[in-house]
Amino acid sequence: MSLPNLHTIEGVLARFHEDLYAARSNQDGQAVRDRYLGRKGSVLAEWMERLAAAPPAHKRELGQLTNALKRELETRWASYLETRQATAAPAGAIDVTLPGREPPLGHRHPLTIVRSDLEAIFTRMGFTAVEGPEVEDEWHCFDALNMPAEHPARDMQDTLYLATPIAGEGPADRRTLLRTHTSSMQIRYMQTHAPPIRIIVPGRVYRRDDLDLTHSPAFGQIEGLAVGEGISLADLKGTLLAFAQQTFSPTTRVRFRPSFFPYTEPSAEIDLSCWQCHGSGCAMCKKTGWIEIGGCGMVHPAVFEAVGYDAERYTGFAWGIGIERIAILRYQVEDIRLFYENDLRFLEQFPY
Amino acid sequence: MRLVVSWLRDFVDVKASPEEIADTLGLRGFEVASVEPLPGGDAVIDFEVTANRPDCLSVMGLAREVATAFQIPYAPTPVTNGASVPTGTSDRITVAIDDEELGPRYVGAVADITGAASPSWMASRLQAAGIRPISAIVDITNYVLIERGHPMHAFDLARLAGAEIRVRRAKKGERITTLDGVERKLDENMLVIADRDRAQAVAGVMGGAHSEVSASTRAIVFESAYFKPASVRTTSKRLGLKTEASARFERGADVNGALPAMQRAIALMESIGAGNVSNPIVDRYPAPRRPATLHLRRARLASLLGAAVPEADVVRILQGLGLGVTAAGDGWNVVAPTSRVDLLREVDLIEEVGRHYGFERIESAFPVLTQPAPPPDPRIARDGLARRVLTSAGLSEVLTFGFIEATAAALVDPGAANTVAVANPLSAKFDTLRPLLIPGLMDAVAHNRRHGRRDVGVFEIGARFAPGGETRAVAVAQTGAVSDHWKNGPREVDFFDTKGIVERIADAFGIRVRFEPVTLPFLVAGQAAAVRVDGSALGFIGRLSPSIADERGAPRQDAIFVAELDLDALSASVGVPFASVRPLPRHPFVVRDLSIVVDDTLPAEIIRGTIRTAAERIVVAGAPLVDVRIFDRYQGKGVPDGKVSVSLRFTFQAPNRTLTDAEVQQSFDQVLAVLVREHGAVQR
Repeated sequence: MSLPNLHTIEGVLARFHEDLYAARSNQDGQAVRDRYLGRKGSVLAEWMERLAAAPPAHKRELGQLTNALKRELETRWASYLETRQATAAPAGAIDVTLPGREPPLGHRHPLTIVRSDLEAIFTRMGFTAVEGPEVEDEWHCFDALNMPAEHPARDMQDTLYLATPIAGEGPADRRTLLRTHTSSMQIRYMQTHAPPIRIIVPGRVYRRDDLDLTHSPAFGQIEGLAVGEGISLADLKGTLLAFAQQTFSPTTRVRFRPSFFPYTEPSAEIDLSCWQCHGSGCAMCKKTGWIEIGGCGMVHPAVFEAVGYDAERYTGFAWGIGIERIAILRYQVEDIRLFYENDLRFLEQFPY
Repeated sequence: MRLVVSWLRDFVDVKASPEEIADTLGLRGFEVASVEPLPGGDAVIDFEVTANRPDCLSVMGLAREVATAFQIPYAPTPVTNGASVPTGTSDRITVAIDDEELGPRYVGAVADITGAASPSWMASRLQAAGIRPISAIVDITNYVLIERGHPMHAFDLARLAGAEIRVRRAKKGERITTLDGVERKLDENMLVIADRDRAQAVAGVMGGAHSEVSASTRAIVFESAYFKPASVRTTSKRLGLKTEASARFERGADVNGALPAMQRAIALMESIGAGNVSNPIVDRYPAPRRPATLHLRRARLASLLGAAVPEADVVRILQGLGLGVTAAGDGWNVVAPTSRVDLLREVDLIEEVGRHYGFERIESAFPVLTQPAPPPDPRIARDGLARRVLTSAGLSEVLTFGFIEATAAALVDPGAANTVAVANPLSAKFDTLRPLLIPGLMDAVAHNRRHGRRDVGVFEIGARFAPGGETRAVAVAQTGAVSDHWKNGPREVDFFDTKGIVERIADAFGIRVRFEPVTLPFLVAGQAAAVRVDGSALGFIGRLSPSIADERGAPRQDAIFVAELDLDALSASVGVPFASVRPLPRHPFVVRDLSIVVDDTLPAEIIRGTIRTAAERIVVAGAPLVDVRIFDRYQGKGVPDGKVSVSLRFTFQAPNRTLTDAEVQQSFDQVLAVLVREHGAVQR
């Protein structure tokens, strides 16, 4: 490899360019410039000297070449300065890649996120969100819901009872158990409001289940109730369809599978078409194409009779959906216990 | 209910495959647990039958459903026929019902038996249905149980004293050894089948060992009875004894199915050569129950389902299920057989029609809104505001259970005066309702600390329980650093971080809270305060006692600060909500700083109170004091022992004029004079 020839314009320019490129500081750059364009001892100065010493016959040609070299060197120097200014750090420069000081912002619990999303969806459909006590009496939790004293759900093995009753609103109001469903609040609401009614009741409920991968002795539920004249099972289906499509996927379908609950008649399990495989079968829907998310039905006339409504004039529907169930499906949580372990590594994965 | 498909075909000629039968009934209210193939192309479908359909705990009941679902006739083949032994009086047994309420019907028949074994077809059907074959007579009772859903029993006639059957309540202290060899103590609420001397069976639950049919038995008494569901249920529960019989009786067997079941058992016995009946069947049925007639209205059916089901379908479905249907006025009169214990009113018929018409065929609609929705429960917005304030403060939300272990509750409520126990807890871990949120929050902190997390800031909003009722609270716990950045390094959380959060919550709710030193068993003495509003308690704040942190599994040396506020009390104290803005001041303000030395035991709150009181008096005369804040507190060099230097920043501003230096100085001097007089303050 030979160095570019300093006796040709191209050679000089090529070397100038390389030297500038190698310059690490403004000072370095200036020194390079001086070596090529300086008054004394520079490359250009050498060319000038040679021009002065040249025979008259060559002077004209050599003069043009020297001028051309000078022009080229100056142009390159000017463009070098321009680029350098654009890239160099100005005085007081900071390392902008260092981490910022994020203002503190905590995370809402995933069950809170799901709950408020559901509240928003049903609120848009005209439902009013109301809350009720977690400790209830047997009448509100069972009797008024067409579950008479001998009903199996009232067994000590399914329901958690208190050792001593606690006080409720009135002097005679003694609460004796942890509610097994938020339906008890439906009763309280109907006792104090006349139809038409459209409410959702989100809240904590309790069952005598051991804590494991898929069960929790306490969990969140969101219950809906609509009462009015001419309310039908078709209306229930449409309401839950809107919920399903807004919660999971715009193409989700709803299927009602007949079932039995004492407080609704007819009763059904709510299945949603699998929004992952769209019915072709996947792990989430256990290859059935359908995912069960809760129960529903038309309010049993005995429930209306318990709260003093005219069961002939009014009809209504109700449903109950587990908040954990929705969260598990939506966020693909494999273990229900994660919701109550409160590990920040889990909680901080959810959006603010 | 394990349904053997070949058995089903004795009643309905269904051509569909077992899988198709399972899928179809799955959408008609009978959830399928499994479909298992059997030898010879047979199969068994395991259905989960809902509690309202005891009639479907039988081949016959499910056959009705299959016939209706597949729109084919319900047509039992001759092999399912019963005998036609007359009823009357027997000279070999007497039957008496002493308690008609608990035992409304008793059908008994004496048979002489041969000792023949069950044929293999019977044994294998029972096995497929999940019943262990035992002997021809027992197998016959079980076969009838599975086929017709009617529980039966057989006694060894020779072991019945006085050749007598008496349906009566157990006597006080009476005992019986049941077929499982366990001696059981009975009480007067339990119904028994007795002979002249003693109880020989617990009615509807299990027979007694004494009269068990054995290899030496020559004559038996078949029992086909009906017992009150609630009575069987409580007896079964009290004895802790659940059987195939009790499961059916407690949900409701068919009172009118008792005699056909007996005839069926006799026919089976005779057909397999296991015995024969030469005496009349004794049928004690003092108050025969007739099937109920219900009225179904066309319009009600359409409006409740929101679908127009063709009339032909309505009739087809109800008749298919074995109901008598006749057109009547605005709909139909429907006779529901007594086997259908779930059909009590019109809506039950609507369910039957809807179920078999197919819920999937009902088009979605939306209920008409006739009035605007009322506002939601104010607690939702209240809790939302608290949550917003706390997440904005960098705390993350946790959720813990409403029940905790008694030892955890005792840490915050040592005398348990405020603690409510669970009567039937799942385990000692969940045996007490939480009196405060702090124990659960404490466990959340400990969990994170144990898993390598240094800085923890969490809160919970939830219910807590006391004998006086249920309240909603918000609680906060912080430990580790509140901020950690490469430029400034970490800053450890202290009391005032948590206090600032409490103040922010109070501010968000527009209330003014006061902090007063307090002694609580779970907070470090001298680092705890009661939070009060208008003299009433709202909650507390302080540093958690290290021994409690240690006990709940957090490092003992952790400084954990906690606070808990009663949200119900908080929202009750909210005064005038924010309604209008104050005009912005038009005149400049003047700031003056003052450093004073006072006793270090003098609370800052008192100094501020003194200044505020003094300021109120000077408003007219001098420059109005609009703000005072403490910006430094210093002890050490230059300040005598037992004293503290407090630096205060005063802001003076008048709404209507620019203040002069003289005015400001006058006010400043007045305030200083009061501080000197009241607290012996010395200006630095």
